[in-house]
Amino acid sequence: MRFYIIYFAVCLFFLSCAESPSVRVDEEGSEKILLALLEADSGAVIEIPEGFYAFKRSLSLDGVPGVTIKGAGMGKSILSFENQIDGAEGLLIKADQITLEDFTIQDSKGDAIKVQDAEGIVFRRVETTWTHGASEDNGGYGIYPVGCTSVLIEGCEASYAADAGIYVGQSNQVVMRDNYAHHNVAGLEIENSRNVEAYNNLAEENTGGLLIFDMPGLPQANGYNVKVYDNTVRSNNHKNFAPEGGVVSTLPPGTGMLIIAHRDVEVYNNEVTDYKTLGLGVISWYFTERPFETDNGFDPYYSNVSVHDNTFQRRRAIPDITKEFGQMLNGLFIGKPQDIVVDGIFENDGVHLCLKNNGEDLRFANLNAETASDLGDLKKLVDRNMDRFNCDLPSFDVIPPAL
Amino acid sequence: MKLFAENILLAGVLILLLYSCQPAGQVALYADKPFNKLSDYHFFMGRQSALKPNTGVLPYDLITPLFSDYAEKARFVWMPEGQSAQILENGDIDFPEGTVLIKNFFYDLEARRQLIETRLLVREESGWTPLTYIWDESQRDASLSITGGFAAVDVPLPDGTSHSIRYVIPNKNQCKTCHESGGNIKPIGPKVKHLNREYTYEEGSANQLAMWTNHQFLNNYSEVDHTARTIAWDDPSAPLEDRALAYLEVNCGTCHKADGSAYVSGLHISPDSDPYQLGICKTPVSAGKGSGGFRYDINPGHPESSILVYRMKSDDPGAMMPEIGRKMMHSEGVQLISDWIASMDGSCD
Repeated sequence: MRFYIIYFAVCLFFLSCAESPSVRVDEEGSEKILLALLEADSGAVIEIPEGFYAFKRSLSLDGVPGVTIKGAGMGKSILSFENQIDGAEGLLIKADQITLEDFTIQDSKGDAIKVQDAEGIVFRRVETTWTHGASEDNGGYGIYPVGCTSVLIEGCEASYAADAGIYVGQSNQVVMRDNYAHHNVAGLEIENSRNVEAYNNLAEENTGGLLIFDMPGLPQANGYNVKVYDNTVRSNNHKNFAPEGGVVSTLPPGTGMLIIAHRDVEVYNNEVTDYKTLGLGVISWYFTERPFETDNGFDPYYSNVSVHDNTFQRRRAIPDITKEFGQMLNGLFIGKPQDIVVDGIFENDGVHLCLKNNGEDLRFANLNAETASDLGDLKKLVDRNMDRFNCDLPSFDVIPPAL
Repeated sequence: MKLFAENILLAGVLILLLYSCQPAGQVALYADKPFNKLSDYHFFMGRQSALKPNTGVLPYDLITPLFSDYAEKARFVWMPEGQSAQILENGDIDFPEGTVLIKNFFYDLEARRQLIETRLLVREESGWTPLTYIWDESQRDASLSITGGFAAVDVPLPDGTSHSIRYVIPNKNQCKTCHESGGNIKPIGPKVKHLNREYTYEEGSANQLAMWTNHQFLNNYSEVDHTARTIAWDDPSAPLEDRALAYLEVNCGTCHKADGSAYVSGLHISPDSDPYQLGICKTPVSAGKGSGGFRYDINPGHPESSILVYRMKSDDPGAMMPEIGRKMMHSEGVQLISDWIASMDGSCD
């Protein structure tokens, strides 16, 4: 009998938890927001009072400059796209001098906030999330400026994106600071972008914390002048829930930072900790074994990458075995997470990578993968000596956003 | 008494007849704000839903149209008296101020015709303005809409069956997604190569460009090269690759081009693109779940693992292509593109 009572109590407990908190959808307010965006004049300030708003299709702002969309705070003014049936993003913006502040976008079917071709875009205390946890059905990007110039992303929180929480693509003059990215596949990602500073961000519980990629086949073929400093990148060991296909789906859980095929990058004063696979990877596009074209000027190598004065503190754990890169590292250094791994594929003999003052007793591996075709080759080629990379690189200036 | 009644009846019939024959009035264009009702423009005579063009309103058709959930499209063009358009060197048509392109979306159901929406592109002084009019329940008239909307439709399919969808009528901003070219709104269909074919007019069959010239809608037809012609995607006598590329150009290439809204993807779909730009062995960048778990946009010989086909099949707003303007799969289009990819040699790995 007592058993039944306990059973009953347990059932009740689960039932009460399964019940989602009832939120009142502000239908009238939702309609108002929709119209305000469609009919906005330049310089308009669109206020979103505290409340829960629901939309069946994307919201968008197009061609109207100087608009501010301002809510009552993250988690207070909530725009939900749970029942979206049309549009590939939650909020789509193609306009200049835009400020987005103090609201939450949740459960969009595709990207949460996409801003394209804007000159001057500020994301301030904006949250993007998917409320049903990590799933490959979640949208790809949370905060997603692409093809923009003068971008400021500050005080934002991005979680549960199936690709990157905060992603800056093919943009110029970008500052990302004081943001919190967690439970995404990639926490923060800088891709084919120029003049970018990322500092004082916290990336945790993602599959990979902070990525700096150059991808082939894009109109802005290469990025450069990227400074990443004073960030905390910890415990990024989340299962990779990106759909197969994109490069990010190959990211092994337990990756602190990863730099692919980028040039002019300075990474310093960061705390990269509690990673189970690797603290920092620096690889060329060749290492991804994906086809590419150089017609548009894409450079598959990394160069002028300086990593200094960072803290690396690996987790005591078995490295990832779910992704090829993780399997490879496990195969090479059985059961031992690595701090810094480089593929050792360089265009010529110049100075491409400097690693200095990143702590004692680092587990370092230069895979020298240029001629390797399998694990057996790699085992013979791998070089644990970091001396070759003990160098300094000339500093470079980063052009700030003009806002 | 009987005579009187008959007279009344006759008078009534006469009045009715007169009323129905009464000229619709000339086509009118608004001065500053768009009309609220479609009928206010007088594009159509009599019963609006019959779409019988008024004087000076000319119907036209495209060789390979965009797929829009199997909707029928009745297109018309109108220009102000004395105005005419010019064919540009690249085959685009430069329309004069005041031009209106009119596109009616409807379904011919078993019992009746269901008009959904009429889209106008109006060439104002500052550029093209897109306007959407939604047909009312009674099908008498259509009203201007900023926010767009949804319409329940039982879409009749080519095989005789039907499929229920919530047809999406675009809002003001969505028009630009497809009509954007270099940051401005531009017409997509009416270009020399898309118009260059016979059309059956009331007065007989004629080449559309020649007819436009007859109507003084075009002023330099005979002076320019007007031989370019799009392949009809559904013409079984045309080469498979040409049909596929024509289909892709119209259904994907309006956004996926160097100055289109999807330029950031680096996937540029036009007959002049190199294989990589076209998606052959190109890995996705920001596709998210749009990748469908596949590695290449086009995997030669393998439509079943090509992202392009996956996204054409999907109806998930976060994965499907085109991103808007479609709620259901275009089976015949998917088949065409699949056949084309299956016919390709080579491998990406």
